Amino acid sequence: MTDLRAFCMPKWGIEMTEGTLAEWMVGEGDAFKKGDLLCLIETDKITNEVEAEKDGVVERIVVKAGGDAEAVGSLLAVFGDGSADAEAIDSFVAGFKPTSALGSVRKKKPAAQKVADDQPVPPKDASGGEKKPVRIDTNRPISPEALKFAEAEGVDISGIEGSGREGRITLQDVQQAARPARAPQLRGPVDHPEENLEVFASPLARRIASQNGVDLGPVVGTGPRGRIRKADVLKLLEGQSTASDAPFVPVDNRPEIEAFDRVRKVVAKRLTAAKQDIPHFYLRTSVCADPVIALRRHANLVLGSKASLNDFVVMAAARALRRHPEVNVQLHGEEIHRFPHADVSVAVASPNGLMTPIVRQADRLGIGQIAKATRALIDKAEAGRLGYDDLDGGTFTVSNLGMFGIENFDAIINPPQAAILAVGAASRVPVEGEDGAIGFETRISLTLSVDHRAIDGAAGAKFLATFKTLFENPEELFA
Amino acid sequence: MQLSREQLLQAYRRMATIRAFEERLHDVIATGEVAGFTHLYCGQEAVAVGVCEHLDTEDKIVSTHRGHGHCLAKGCDVQGMMKEIWGSTEGLCKGKGGSMHIADVDKGMLGANGIVGAGAPIAVGAALSNKLDGEGRVAIAFSGDGACNQGTTFEAMNMAVVTNAPCIFVFENNHYSEHTGDDYAVGTANDIASRAEAFGMRVWRADGCDFFAVYETMRELLEYVRAGNGPAAVEFDTERFYGHFEGDPQNYRGDGELDRIRKERDCLQIFRQRVSEAGLLETDALDELDKAAHADVEAAVEAARAAPRPTAEDVLTDVYVTY
Amino acid sequence: MAEMMYRDAVRETIREEMARDESVVVLGEDVVGGMGTAGGPEAIGGIWSTSTGLFEQFGASRVIDTPISESAIVGTAGGLALSGKRPVAELMFADFIGVSLDQLWNQIGKFRYMFGGKTRCPAVIRMAYGGGYNAAAQHSQCVHQILTGMPGLKVVMPSTPEDVRGLLRTAIRGDDPVMFLEHKALYGVSGEVPEGDYTIPFGHARQVTAGEDVTVVATGMMVGVAEAAAERMAEDGIGVDLLDLRTTSPMDEEAILDSVEVTGRLVIVDEAPPRCNLATDIAALVARKAFSSLRAPVEMVTAPHSPVPFALELEQAYLPSDDQVEAAVRKTLDYR
Repeated sequence: MTDLRAFCMPKWGIEMTEGTLAEWMVGEGDAFKKGDLLCLIETDKITNEVEAEKDGVVERIVVKAGGDAEAVGSLLAVFGDGSADAEAIDSFVAGFKPTSALGSVRKKKPAAQKVADDQPVPPKDASGGEKKPVRIDTNRPISPEALKFAEAEGVDISGIEGSGREGRITLQDVQQAARPARAPQLRGPVDHPEENLEVFASPLARRIASQNGVDLGPVVGTGPRGRIRKADVLKLLEGQSTASDAPFVPVDNRPEIEAFDRVRKVVAKRLTAAKQDIPHFYLRTSVCADPVIALRRHANLVLGSKASLNDFVVMAAARALRRHPEVNVQLHGEEIHRFPHADVSVAVASPNGLMTPIVRQADRLGIGQIAKATRALIDKAEAGRLGYDDLDGGTFTVSNLGMFGIENFDAIINPPQAAILAVGAASRVPVEGEDGAIGFETRISLTLSVDHRAIDGAAGAKFLATFKTLFENPEELFA
Repeated sequence: MQLSREQLLQAYRRMATIRAFEERLHDVIATGEVAGFTHLYCGQEAVAVGVCEHLDTEDKIVSTHRGHGHCLAKGCDVQGMMKEIWGSTEGLCKGKGGSMHIADVDKGMLGANGIVGAGAPIAVGAALSNKLDGEGRVAIAFSGDGACNQGTTFEAMNMAVVTNAPCIFVFENNHYSEHTGDDYAVGTANDIASRAEAFGMRVWRADGCDFFAVYETMRELLEYVRAGNGPAAVEFDTERFYGHFEGDPQNYRGDGELDRIRKERDCLQIFRQRVSEAGLLETDALDELDKAAHADVEAAVEAARAAPRPTAEDVLTDVYVTY
Repeated sequence: MAEMMYRDAVRETIREEMARDESVVVLGEDVVGGMGTAGGPEAIGGIWSTSTGLFEQFGASRVIDTPISESAIVGTAGGLALSGKRPVAELMFADFIGVSLDQLWNQIGKFRYMFGGKTRCPAVIRMAYGGGYNAAAQHSQCVHQILTGMPGLKVVMPSTPEDVRGLLRTAIRGDDPVMFLEHKALYGVSGEVPEGDYTIPFGHARQVTAGEDVTVVATGMMVGVAEAAAERMAEDGIGVDLLDLRTTSPMDEEAILDSVEVTGRLVIVDEAPPRCNLATDIAALVARKAFSSLRAPVEMVTAPHSPVPFALELEQAYLPSDDQVEAAVRKTLDYR
């Protein structure tokens, strides 16, 4: 008996319940060494590389790349030393059960399974996936393939209205029932040009002509029966003058349609839920940045760091959070989780969309460490290589659009966090000095978005006041 | 007898041409050279010619599945017809119609027809068109003892009477509707004309194997119809020398029946006999016409064999004038 | 623009065409009406009032009242057309194509082809079709699904008085046999009709409403049904590109495909029963030529596979409704 090992869907972080095998870097029969890249696994947050924990040989790849999401603990591959025969591997796969350790970290208990011993078990279901094969006894007419699908995916067919003859259920019906409902994106009614009976043109040609102010009267159609078709109008448009004295002619402005990718879907879902579910309230103030600007120059020179203005914002926020633990919280259902230290998420635009990697325990870091950690996170985000640990958790978010000249804005809270600080651009504004003279100072406007369920208005205001004091007196940051 | 020598020669020549045409086809079809269904007119030549010799191109005729004789009698081109039967693009219908659908509208020939009984309503329409034009032209529906049992024929006869259409229903009773005898299938005791009479038409009856009887009957009848008296009908007793279609084994014929009708009821022989007895035409002249008819037909067959064939692209032409 | 009823549009167009062209001849059962009765000619004037007054104006030689002989009516029209006239024949009910089918199908539809293109058959056969009058199984049917498949015939199904005029002019002036299908439930419908001697070419769909979410194709009375649904759904932001085909032979394939390429969704509304009808024909067209554009299965809203029933409730249940159209549109939008 050779030594076969199961390679399972890993679990990264408390929220991860399933992952998708994006790509295998090794193939069946390949030998690998500890530290070799085995595969890429995607979760709804990130794509992560999985390295080999020890040397071995890929005996069998159970889950192919690019398929559906697999539950944490699902068998992905069988590793060994390369000596196992097919029969041994088959029996290993058939006998595989997820370990109790994996099972125990699951939020939900895997559904009880009763599978006859002589029945081969598809690995996905054996791993405790939420879809389990069921035997469906029904008198309803159903196509063989539809029944097979329904049984394999555990689809309840009782609610399906069969679209076939005499209500026969088709594969399409079952697949429809298995997929989540989806709201269509509507483009809505559009005006259409009144049909000119003198002109023989297709509806589409008429619409394009009308949009572009083209008179179809003199156009000779190349369509059936001499009809003016889309191509005829487009040809005419190509030849139209673009001289500046020519009347403005709108051109085709229909959108190029791009379906949401995985990240965009997650972002959209989370932000929509956040905006809809969280009773936001907003606290606005502005702070004077001149002391920080002066200090930053000095600090960078002394410390050799390259701290940005935002790093000071993160630092000030982290220190203020430590003093106001009532703001340094996460909201889970009806529980408020209060954290002793501030894990500050920094909103970063990455090629994959908005990401919020975390500067861990920022309240315990000096400005140089914060600058370094943030820089590293930004680099990873830009390379699309943020890991699960970079993203999971966080007790507060700083979102800065100052570099784009945005004066101020309201940010959406990033759940389960309960507050986010929106930072605008620094601008020079005239102020009345103590002696009544007019001087200039650099000010940054701030908006704190707060989840009113977790944080009271006064608590938020106190936090913001502390932040302001720290930021405007940065020497205290180094106290 | 009002026929001139020229008219007699022309009538015989047309009958001889039909005979030669059909006999030649009979031989050729047996070899498999010609495709499709063909129904030969042999034996009935005196009817087609006796009727059509009275007509010009503005008088219309609507024919039947057994239509070659009507076409030739109405002046359709022998080569054009043969090429059509061969399926050539130079055929009268460019190879689209074939034997059962030969037409030449310019000659007043509104088509043979593959549907038994379908022609009569069309003839009523043609007659009404002629009536509207008011120049005394008529339209003729050729029907047989098969078509006389179709509802369309009844509808057309009634319609013609109701609309006073100058329409003439010519019933050629060759005693066989396909493979069924008129004793069985024509419920009015073999009498087709009485049906037209029942619709209120004046009717005539005559021997369809005697050209002179046909010709004289039609002269009288046409005079009546052209005068605006409405439709009329005539039943000609005639014979079919071949089967319903080519290849028909004719098991339904009586013993010696075909020999007897060929001997006693051949309209060409009867014509020869009548003109000889009356001293109107010499046998030599008639023999010459026979020879000329055979030569014409032979030339037509040669031309049809050499004529251009249609291509797949031609399938979609002429479905509509514009589409 | 003037208001005109659908039936008046039919009659006035025929009247104008008869005045314009002496070869135009009208025939049919009761197109004069009252012939041979104490009431005398024009006692009825056509049961649909689509020929009232024509007899008086043009006389018996051009307005031919016929016996009930549908085969002979169509065949006579064929003979007239072959002889250079432009007959406009009426079958009182489209259902009667059953008794005249040979003349429609084997005769006038095939003359030109069988005769090698050497003749023309400019016959217009008008007929009242469709349900909604509790006329039961033999007086309520659609026939376009039968006639459209017959090469040589053109099939026209106007849905508005404006289209009646433009399409009937094209039919009468054209040189091919035309089946002109008039929906009996539309006869009493009024609509704006442009002035002037306009024609509408065949094979040219009308865009009734424009939208980019779902393509809906309809003909005849179903256009109004679909339009009601489209207008209701517009309030929910659903854009329906509703095409009235106007003619089913020739059919404006291009308009359908152009639209489906934008919307990716198609609902076809057909008053005929669901098998081998216009809807299946269009579904096949789109499956073949716009497969990659489809984002949801094609939906069909049709009558059921049954004869047209008599009772009010039954006929209402039989005929496609705007609710059914809306449900079908939403079903294509909900496809996931």
